[in-house]
Amino acid sequence: MNTPHTTAEFTHVDAITGAGEYRARASRPLTLPDGTEIGAVSEVPRLYVTRAFARLAQAPVLPYERRLELLAKAADLFENAVLEGRTVDDYLDLVSRCAGVPRAIAHASVAAIARTLRALPDTLAQEIPRGAVTDIDDPRLRDGAAYWARRGKTLAVHASGNTPGVHSLWPSALALGYAVAVRPSSREPFTPQRLVRAFREAGLAEQVALLPTGHDVADALIEQADRALVYGGQAVVDKYAANPAVLTQGPGRSKTLVTDDVDWREHLDTIAASVAGLGGAACTCTTAVLVEGDAATADAFAAALAERLAAYAAEHPRVELPEVTARQLADHVRQIAAATTGHGPAELVEVVRPGTAVLRPVVRVAPDARAPVLGVELPFPCVWIAPFDRAEGIGPLAGSLVVTAITEDTEFAQRLLDEPSISNVYIGAHTTTWMKPGVPHDGYLSEHLMTTKGVIR
Amino acid sequence: MSDAAAHDWSILDVDPTQQKVTDTDAYVRPLMQWHFGPETGSPFWLDRRSRLDFDPLTDVKSVEDLALFPNLIDEFRDVSAEELVPRGLGDAKIAAIFESGGTTGRPKRFLMFEEWFSRYLAWAGRKAASGLGGSGINLLATTPSGPHMIGEVTVRQSHALGGKRFTIDVDPRWVKKLIERGRADELGAYVDHLVDQTADILATQDIGMIQTIPVLLTKIAERPELVDLVRSKVKRIAWGGAHMDPDTRAILREEVFPGIPIVGGYGSTTILSVAVERKDEQPSGLATFDPFSPYVFFRVVDPGTGRPVAYGERGQIVMNHITKYALIPNNLERDTAVRTPAEDGHIGDAVADVAPVQTFDGSAVTEGVY
Repeated sequence: MNTPHTTAEFTHVDAITGAGEYRARASRPLTLPDGTEIGAVSEVPRLYVTRAFARLAQAPVLPYERRLELLAKAADLFENAVLEGRTVDDYLDLVSRCAGVPRAIAHASVAAIARTLRALPDTLAQEIPRGAVTDIDDPRLRDGAAYWARRGKTLAVHASGNTPGVHSLWPSALALGYAVAVRPSSREPFTPQRLVRAFREAGLAEQVALLPTGHDVADALIEQADRALVYGGQAVVDKYAANPAVLTQGPGRSKTLVTDDVDWREHLDTIAASVAGLGGAACTCTTAVLVEGDAATADAFAAALAERLAAYAAEHPRVELPEVTARQLADHVRQIAAATTGHGPAELVEVVRPGTAVLRPVVRVAPDARAPVLGVELPFPCVWIAPFDRAEGIGPLAGSLVVTAITEDTEFAQRLLDEPSISNVYIGAHTTTWMKPGVPHDGYLSEHLMTTKGVIR
Repeated sequence: MSDAAAHDWSILDVDPTQQKVTDTDAYVRPLMQWHFGPETGSPFWLDRRSRLDFDPLTDVKSVEDLALFPNLIDEFRDVSAEELVPRGLGDAKIAAIFESGGTTGRPKRFLMFEEWFSRYLAWAGRKAASGLGGSGINLLATTPSGPHMIGEVTVRQSHALGGKRFTIDVDPRWVKKLIERGRADELGAYVDHLVDQTADILATQDIGMIQTIPVLLTKIAERPELVDLVRSKVKRIAWGGAHMDPDTRAILREEVFPGIPIVGGYGSTTILSVAVERKDEQPSGLATFDPFSPYVFFRVVDPGTGRPVAYGERGQIVMNHITKYALIPNNLERDTAVRTPAEDGHIGDAVADVAPVQTFDGSAVTEGVY
């Protein structure tokens, strides 16, 4: 937290659609980690949602080039303009105070969102299938060609609130010609609110909506939309597994692997940054590190990493949580870590203000690379270490959003590339949190939203 | 005390629309004599008198003293209909045996006497005067029928309108079963089935008034072609039976059906009547319901202490039906509401923004569609 907020202003997050704004009579409180109520998030009823989607489905689809122009304009507004009566500094203060996200991380996320929006012309040019056209007047259609077509008109987004960065993905749907409705999280509704405002002011008022709802109405968005993007835990992933219209962004269970043909001592900084970067809260943060060698090697690595993480934590702002949440997480760690051995401080919770706490990094060694605890992902720097042997195969690395393989073994890296349950593979000394516009994060979103149609004219 | 002829029962027959019962305590005392006198009381209450730890004949002297009664509502699930007839009513005509929806367990049964039914409907008709009485317009009732009170109420509503009654049957108990079994898909299909039937009548018949339940009204509002039909034909919409949240209510009134009165009723078989939505909008925009005082009255209490919550606060509703036709006192209902001052001269509370509690008596409450 930088400067304390001097105004006692009550903050409202209300619904926004092409028809205007709506402050619902039903709302849930917006609170700081210590429980202080600073505002309210409207909870619109099902009927409001269905009416909003009826409007979105009628929104005109602007020409491709025009959409990209408007999104670039929105990027400038998002990054610089006074929106919702707030400068970007005021907005960042609100995000960091409310969600407990360090201001530096929030600021970096905002820059990343704006950069992603500006890069859309190049990104989409890479994403589009090589043979496809985007315009009915394209001369290639005379000989017949693929046309890049939307699978629907509307996209619903159930956002999460761990960092503003989750909102860098869905705006590309606007570039693809979708109309988009976002249900913000109550922990951090300010980024989607600011983005929706920026898109409106840029000229996409009819194509975008903010629909805050209670849990009982949340499914109405998915039911009404043609496609959906949903963030959540394993339960959410399981709930929508059979629904092809829903793309889930679940736990990342991202992992780092160090084989014995490299010296792990040279990569401690990279691995510490993978574990604790972005506050340790992102799905790309490393959850488990597999170290090739015996138990003693894993233990030596863990001791060194714990030391490096303590230094990292001292230099970087950490995610602040309600004290009660922090204590629950600490208890949870104690329960699930029964069969592991620990490094680092015994007391995990550090109270930074009354009612507000941070969690100290957790480094624990599991007996082997197949221990289920390696899949436990928590929203703070918490990493499980296990000894590994390349002869065991890539099984322990399956089911990961990102695998960073610090190895010289190209053949092993190829096996990771060939494994369908691993989304991203970074070979060499890269953090698992590495990202770049144009490089897919969990596939391209356009794979979910678009298809190709054969056309000749 | 046992000589029925020695009592003056006339106060029990006062028509409050003609003459206000200002001394409600003077009403309660003969009421106790009626229900607990061997010649006038029902077998149900006469049998229970000895099991009460107070004597209603001597200890209940005021409306407040009715709070002495334990909540015997669960006994209405098993009691035979005959046992509920107050002997003093002689062979008064029974209009129907109505049942609760079974939201909090097996259904409860109550007797609707013809005299009480017409008296309460006359009151409700004046209280929420539509100006459509005798106009000959047709009523579309998409409500439960069968053992539920609303089905028969709509028969009489359509008589008062002087038109024909079209009906779609809604089975709220089956809906609750589907919800409890987690069959959201089947529930959705059932509701769509109800809306399709409604659509057919709206499209082909001359419908001037709709009596329905919130979920169907919302679904009608989601279909543009039905919205057009309602706007072009319907002069009044009445709803009841389940919670309607204030935002949905506002959107329906202001955006979907502007200019068409949308009037709520909050009924319960345990009060053998429907509390009617107040005409004057509260500053909060919440629907406020007044029961037929003094025969029916509400209290809004903290369920933990049983004490009234402050006006403007939410509490659980305690319902009371105290007529010569039935005594159903001190019944803690499944619903919560915002406590609101009753109208002048009325006892108890008015209730605003009625909503179901999540659990009741240890079991989860399934509100369903009714």
